[in-house]
Amino acid sequence: MTTQTEDRQAGDGRTGVYVYGILPGDIEVEPGAPGVGDPPGEVRAVRYRDLTALVSDVDLDRPLGRAEDLFAHEELLDSSAAEVAVLPLRFGAVLASEDAVADELLGPHYDEFSAALRQLDGHAEYVVKGRYVEDAVLGEVLEENPEAARLGQQISGGDPDATRDQRIQLGEIVAEAIEARRQADTRALGDAVAERVTASVVRPPTHELDAVYAAFLVETGKAEALRQAIEQLAEQWGDRMDLRLIGPLAAYDFVGSGAPAGN
Amino acid sequence: MTIATQPGGGNSARPQPSGLADVIDTILDKGLVIDAYVRVSLVGIELLTIDARVVIASVDTYLRFAEAVNRLDISQEKEGLPGLVGGMEESGARHKTKGALEAAGDKLRDFTDSQNGDKERAGRRSRSREDS
Repeated sequence: MTTQTEDRQAGDGRTGVYVYGILPGDIEVEPGAPGVGDPPGEVRAVRYRDLTALVSDVDLDRPLGRAEDLFAHEELLDSSAAEVAVLPLRFGAVLASEDAVADELLGPHYDEFSAALRQLDGHAEYVVKGRYVEDAVLGEVLEENPEAARLGQQISGGDPDATRDQRIQLGEIVAEAIEARRQADTRALGDAVAERVTASVVRPPTHELDAVYAAFLVETGKAEALRQAIEQLAEQWGDRMDLRLIGPLAAYDFVGSGAPAGN
Repeated sequence: MTIATQPGGGNSARPQPSGLADVIDTILDKGLVIDAYVRVSLVGIELLTIDARVVIASVDTYLRFAEAVNRLDISQEKEGLPGLVGGMEESGARHKTKGALEAAGDKLRDFTDSQNGDKERAGRRSRSREDS
């Protein structure tokens, strides 16, 4: 715990440079584009040869991570990705100064950043996220699985404590049946979009009713074909699933996530 | 059903009902990670919203599913056979399951078109109860 005085002194001087992402060429940043922080830092460009990093000043003594900060990070990168290739950084990358951005980030990794940007050129990421409609998927499970239907009858209206074992058994059957559907539907999604995407990543489910969750790297010219394919799937899957197509996004899933950029 | 195409960029309709969850999945988990020795640390990234991001089937999950089945059964009974709760044969129950689901689907389609996520499902359920 620090004292008030220390807080104030620290807050006076300690700023860092927050880095959003790396773009090719001589990118102009629209003046006034809001960044992370409260008040939001103004986004500007740091250049090194023909690479540009989007950055803004950030107060090192204030924690980041409000919803506004997360949205600011993603919106800036996604709106850029609609126009030009972008290497998105994971949220929370802060360097000491503008010089550090050029000399310690862009300089040492110039070749790999340039190569990655060439690969992403003309592409954007799209995320497809589907969630089962609970009543519909439960209805399917009960209909196809007599054991589940029987257990459902047993617990119906009964004392929850007395039927605990049956409840657990029923829930386990339901969870397994949903997992089987998830795998089958994810395969179906992959098949349906195979012709339209350059690369794909299946994301792990984040909710027990998640049906499909995947990111696709898509050529700009094929985005409309992807949308049509997803619409067709949505029609086919009907009321059992809420399906969303999100994008264009920066290619978060296709920039060697998890591995450090350097070494 | 329709699908919602959400433009990723621009200042338009954000934040959306489920937008924050999408953003968290994306920019906290993915993206380029830069060398730790280059980075200066922030005082601490304050993240209040990361929960339920890992799906592990547990007894809690099982009990929740069972409860959902139970609710489903009860709402069918109300809609299909008022006053005749219990003593149903399995085949009869199955038919009603289907009928109730279709009816619910029709009534609630408008809902689906305009919203996404858990809130919507909750709304849908309470609505079908009112209707029954």
